[in-house]
Amino acid sequence: MIVASGLTRQFGTRTAVDDVTFDVRRGEIVALLGPNGAGKTTTLRMLAGLIAPTRGTVTIDGVQLTRATGGKLRGRIGFLTESPGLWDRLSVRQNLRVYARIYGLADPERPIDTALDTFDLTPHADARAAELSRGMRQKVALARALLHQPAILLLDEPTSGLDPEITRGVRRLLEERRAAGASILLSTHNLDEAERLADRVAVLQGGLLALDRPAALRQRLTTGRLLVRVAGDPAAHLDAVRRIAAAAAVDGPHLVIPLERLEQQTPAIVTALVASGAEVLEVRPEIPALEEVYLRLVNEP
Amino acid sequence: MRLRALLAKELLDLARNRVALVPVALVTAVSIVVPLIVIVTVPAMTGRSLAEGSGLADAARLLGIATTLSDEALTQLFLFQQFLLLFLVTPITGAMSLAAHAVVGEKQARTLEPLLATPITTLELLVAKVLGALIPTLAISVGGLALYLAGIAAFGEPGVFAQMFSARTILLIVVLGPAAALVSLQAAIVISSRVNDPRTAQQFGVLIILPLTAVFVAQFTGSWWLSTSWLLVTGLGLVLAWVFLVLFSVALFERETILTRWR
Repeated sequence: MIVASGLTRQFGTRTAVDDVTFDVRRGEIVALLGPNGAGKTTTLRMLAGLIAPTRGTVTIDGVQLTRATGGKLRGRIGFLTESPGLWDRLSVRQNLRVYARIYGLADPERPIDTALDTFDLTPHADARAAELSRGMRQKVALARALLHQPAILLLDEPTSGLDPEITRGVRRLLEERRAAGASILLSTHNLDEAERLADRVAVLQGGLLALDRPAALRQRLTTGRLLVRVAGDPAAHLDAVRRIAAAAAVDGPHLVIPLERLEQQTPAIVTALVASGAEVLEVRPEIPALEEVYLRLVNEP
Repeated sequence: MRLRALLAKELLDLARNRVALVPVALVTAVSIVVPLIVIVTVPAMTGRSLAEGSGLADAARLLGIATTLSDEALTQLFLFQQFLLLFLVTPITGAMSLAAHAVVGEKQARTLEPLLATPITTLELLVAKVLGALIPTLAISVGGLALYLAGIAAFGEPGVFAQMFSARTILLIVVLGPAAALVSLQAAIVISSRVNDPRTAQQFGVLIILPLTAVFVAQFTGSWWLSTSWLLVTGLGLVLAWVFLVLFSVALFERETILTRWR
């Protein structure tokens, strides 16, 4: 489990991360969202013990991350850096072997073979890293981060540069690691990925703007809409609907009804329409995407 | 284990980039060929004896070097021993570019951050970098030295080869050479971890050669003779200097500055 408490980092007069507090529990994936320069990479680096916070603390499984504890704690972390950072002249297998030995794995070849297999890298095991495509390099970097089966995973844009099939494979792998009890914090610009994968999302822009389940954030920050198509003129049933949702309107063949609690209020709307004699042809809820939540958060003054 | 893993990577990386060792091989080749030309070929071509009017045989006798040899052999021995100092400089000049590139090269290739995110300590990282530059260059240098001695055995005056194996020579090769190389390379690593460009590191690294050149010139001009005891003291001093430099380089190695200001 990772706990960041009042994490602040200043570079000269610039504050990159300001008083950020959050946790990543065992068996949980938290997605770190934010525009470029929001402090995502700095936050991940502080959590990995690569840079020290100006203020605040990082605790990993109850042990505070300090200079003295850093070495030992880093052995429990798998960190995927922004850039794959492979040694170009070494083969894929050799790159992984160096890290397997640094992590002190007893039988390095076995986890290396597993990692190569997991990421479909076995046919490229003896290829030099320099010969690999960007996506392949990213896969090797991911394999490297997972090589020692870390309990904590800090991933800076893990699916960046990967094709959809591999991206799906990576997501599946992260879900497996989550099921195995790993605490996973990943930064991403891919809101769809955050939505699909993360238990909670943290929106960062210097400070922490929000931290919650995607559905809870949506509910808190946006309004859903119910689109209802009825036989005949929809305007004839507008008054019945407005008794529940005052902002309801007609748009073409639809009644457009903004609702704060979409799921709970939908049956009441349908009941009211039926009571007013409407023949309901279609009921379509429109749930705002996480993107809308995100844009609202980061663009708020 | 971690040190060995990183050292193995350094050596493997170098093995895949053998061109980087060409300067070391060239300097070593020059260190073998130049003395043989000066001491053996030139006198043979001009027909003039080395000992003739040079006074070097007398100087060698004054220094207590193999007084039983003929003047010509003694002069050769004196000069071959002086040129031996080139093998002190060889591993340093050659390895300097490797060491200078060691940390800043990793910075530029973005390979340092994932490495620093592992449990590896700064000490392990820096020592692996130094040894990674030292071991191959020292191996080439030792190979060169064997060829140098073989050249002396083949072309030198009788008795010169046997007299090359004095306590002074052995100290020079076994203690002073590696110790001087360690100090120089460690200094280059310090520089490499403080700059953002391998060229800057290399240019600073050149400065490290200057004191060694001064020792070399002092030997030749006779202003400072490195006797056996001097060699011992200097060797010990260099080892202590290396230990100090290792600690200094660890203290100076600021992980976060390296990661956040590498552009």
